[in-house]
Amino acid sequence: MKVGFPSQEKALRAASVAALVALALMVWSFLDPSPLAMVVAMSVGQGLGTLSLLLFLGVVAVDIVRNRGSKPE
Amino acid sequence: MLDVSQQSVAYLQPVMITAAIVCALLAAGLLIWYLLRRPPLDWRTKILLLCGLGVLPIGTAMMGNAATFKHTQERAFCGSCHVMGPYLEDSSDPTSLSLAARHGRNEYFGKQNCYACHQDYGMYGTVMTKVGGMRHVWEYYTEYHAYTLDQAREKIHLRDPFTNANCTGCHSMNNPGWRGQPDHAQLLDELLDAKVSCLGAGCHGPSHPFSKDPVPPPSAEDAGGAR
Ligand code: HEC
Ligand code: HEC
Repeated sequence: MKVGFPSQEKALRAASVAALVALALMVWSFLDPSPLAMVVAMSVGQGLGTLSLLLFLGVVAVDIVRNRGSKPE
Repeated sequence: MLDVSQQSVAYLQPVMITAAIVCALLAAGLLIWYLLRRPPLDWRTKILLLCGLGVLPIGTAMMGNAATFKHTQERAFCGSCHVMGPYLEDSSDPTSLSLAARHGRNEYFGKQNCYACHQDYGMYGTVMTKVGGMRHVWEYYTEYHAYTLDQAREKIHLRDPFTNANCTGCHSMNNPGWRGQPDHAQLLDELLDAKVSCLGAGCHGPSHPFSKDPVPPPSAEDAGGAR
């Protein structure tokens, strides 16, 4: 139906996987609060988490713009 | 499921860490549901993903940061990199007369004494100092990790000079007992303007005598200028 759908889904699946990794890293740092776990969670973990959210917001924004543009046509 | 050992954050901040983990589990549930079910991107999926990718993970990160922040102030945390071992040992030694150890005994901040004196930089506080603390850990794993304790003592030094504010945040310089101390009285103006350091020979330095000593071990003689 929509042209962009497969890549859209791919992006969201990638975001979901990234977020799962980020969550796992954060939980690891709670259970084993060594300096290494802490730094990995706060850099890689929170970085991946932020990226996944941005990816999601980007996909939703594109989706909204596209739907709006397609209606008048 | 929670590892509630003395070292664990869950031991120190049980409620916050439990809440953080619950958020993480809920988020993971939503994400796994999305990955397995492959629902179309309608408004319902968008809202669920907003929770799974946004609201809940942010909750985990914020509560986690708040809880681990406390944990990183503990002396045991500072001492968990082996090059800080001698500092940890000295401060935990009830017979040590080093200035650092003498700040490690009161109930109020004794267990966080490294943080109490070194908090203007490093692992603590705002985002900027968080970045600074990450640098410490990075340097540890890239470089200091391989050091022997002797090398560490020789090579690891403070990046910036220690400022009086690190002491005067607690020792206000306003009490009669402090002002009546002859050296303080004589240098009062310079001390108030931070033109003279609290540290140094004859005054309150060094805080970690063994770190300046070319020969181990830390001796009890150098009391660091107790007054
Ligand atoms: C977090 C607050 C705090 C900071 C920071 C701090 N002190 Fe103290 N200081 C104390 C307290 C509290 C005591 C009393 C400790 C006790 O009785 O267990 C003390 C005790 C002392 C004593 C007396 C020790 C003795 O054996 O009689 C000296 C000297 C001293 N501090 C110097 C310093 C210097 C120099 C600095 C900076 C490098 C400093 N302090 C930083 C709170 C602090
Ligand atoms: C009384 C406050 C005080 C406490 C408590 C304290 N320090 Fe320090 N620390 C200092 C001061 C002052 C210096 C810099 C000058 C000196 O060595 O006296 C310093 C220097 C250092 C240095 C650099 C050593 C060098 O030779 O340049 C390290 C590393 C250090 N501290 C680690 C720690 C650790 C780890 C703890 C906790 C176990 C701790 N400190 C507790 C005051 C303190």
